[in-house]
Amino acid sequence: MTAVAAKPAAGGAMNPTAMAIGLVLMLVIIGACWKIAPGLGLMALIGMIIGGVLIGFGTHFVPVGGAPAAMGQAPGIATGVPMLAAGAGLAGLFGGAWAAEQGLVVAFVTGAVGGGLMMAITCMMVSFIYVFGMGIPAASGKVKVDPITGDTQPEFKSQGTEGHGLPFTSFVGGVIGGLLAGGGGTLIYLMLLDLYKATLPGMMNATESQIMPIAISAAGIFAVGMFLVNAVLTAYNITGTIEGPHDPKFKRWPRAVVASAVASALCGFVAILIVVM
Amino acid sequence: MESIVFGIGITALTGALATVAGAAEDTESNIGSQGDPNSQVQLAPQMGYLHRIFNKAVAGEPPAYGLWCALGAGLAWAFMAMQINAVLAIVLGCVLAVFVQGVYATTAYVGRTASLKKFGQPVYVDILKSMTTVTMAHAFVAIFCTVTLCYLMNAALGHPFPLPLLGLLWGIALGAAGSAVGNPYYGKERQYQNQKFGAGVPIAQSGNIVRYAEAGERNSLDNGFFTAKLGGPASGVCFGLIVFLELWRTVIFERISAGWGAIIVGILIILIFTVIDRYIEVWARKTYGPYAAPVKEASS
Repeated sequence: MTAVAAKPAAGGAMNPTAMAIGLVLMLVIIGACWKIAPGLGLMALIGMIIGGVLIGFGTHFVPVGGAPAAMGQAPGIATGVPMLAAGAGLAGLFGGAWAAEQGLVVAFVTGAVGGGLMMAITCMMVSFIYVFGMGIPAASGKVKVDPITGDTQPEFKSQGTEGHGLPFTSFVGGVIGGLLAGGGGTLIYLMLLDLYKATLPGMMNATESQIMPIAISAAGIFAVGMFLVNAVLTAYNITGTIEGPHDPKFKRWPRAVVASAVASALCGFVAILIVVM
Repeated sequence: MESIVFGIGITALTGALATVAGAAEDTESNIGSQGDPNSQVQLAPQMGYLHRIFNKAVAGEPPAYGLWCALGAGLAWAFMAMQINAVLAIVLGCVLAVFVQGVYATTAYVGRTASLKKFGQPVYVDILKSMTTVTMAHAFVAIFCTVTLCYLMNAALGHPFPLPLLGLLWGIALGAAGSAVGNPYYGKERQYQNQKFGAGVPIAQSGNIVRYAEAGERNSLDNGFFTAKLGGPASGVCFGLIVFLELWRTVIFERISAGWGAIIVGILIILIFTVIDRYIEVWARKTYGPYAAPVKEASS
């Protein structure tokens, strides 16, 4: 039995009570932050929650086929959900951090484009290897017609498989996922960097230029950590493989968004506590 | 102007290093069978197909390479802080990181294969001896190239992140690119070489991997030899393009319109790759044709 044949079980069910408890928990954490670090700390936490939500939501767009895709048994990219999202998002974070001096908006968009660029190249090369290396055309297993191009899918599905390769909608989903994940990761980094730049000189009795290496390193490490937290949470929500925005599993995103918001609030709160307590 | 020319040179060098790193990474992961196709290597003995394939997939390629590249970069950074020459420091850091990779490969192979004892799968000591060193050699090339390009980004191009953090970021991206592009070629095209070309592996065939070579039983060196011809170079081109284009758009266009130049160029590159991808998809549909007659609307 492979992951393809595994049933989604109760994975798609929403639990309103759990989501409500999650939102209350997030509000409690925001309240605690407002009490301990009003102003810049609270702004940083809200920015990190938005960044985490962007990562969690964006990861749903990324077409991931896991092990079945590596055998041409299912569409998508043949690797894990959090791994691919992390690869794209961290490539975006690299660009965003480089552009941090040019302001929040430019750095955020630069990070987003960096993530989208990584996914565009990767998805194109995946199509290349499927078509020219393995002689397999793309076919979706979840829809009969590609929602963007209108190409029919079932007749291009080889016998005994759930589809294979990357249909165009999956490619677009991958790029959108990379854009959101790259932007989200960059936003978390920028929020923390601003906070650390403002608070570390006082804490360490040093100038801003002296604390910059520490501020950049700490903000970068927290951004990477929070990125992985949100990407892995989303992987649990997806349970295995997803073809992209046209996959029925995509409709599960509200649950992951709430979970990402709560997890980002908690992780962000810890990242703020190390400089305000 | 001189700084831009210098930046372009460094960008080209990092792109070349990334291409070599991507190719070495994919070949290493295929010889070690670390990608997603390893699910079949693990499954085969359970279906009655005993084999001599290496088996070290206790972590995905991205986190594993994130660890090894961060380790190599961190150690190199520490050696440089001890006033050791940068080239020597990077080599020493990468050698130590590769020893960790060797320990990882050894324990992973022994652990994963021992777990298949009840299905009769032996732990082959000769496989352990001959494959581990080859994966270590390929891992050294991949880690050394990645750490070197991270050093160039930090020291020559002035990226603010410290070397270990860059090693972690680009190690994860290297593993993501290598596994995304290289895995299907290793999984479908090599492990299931006995299946029809130009079609996916039927789910019912899961676990029935090819176990025999031209002479004797197939081992993972045969797999690395095969995938190094296309899957490895394609992974290298993928990672090389990612690194090169990300740096190129920043180095040349960052100063135009206060950063918006690099963003617009990035969006244009994404659109170009979108067009190429669509062309490949349409080409495949027209050239290969459907597997079955189109399903009529009324019957669907």
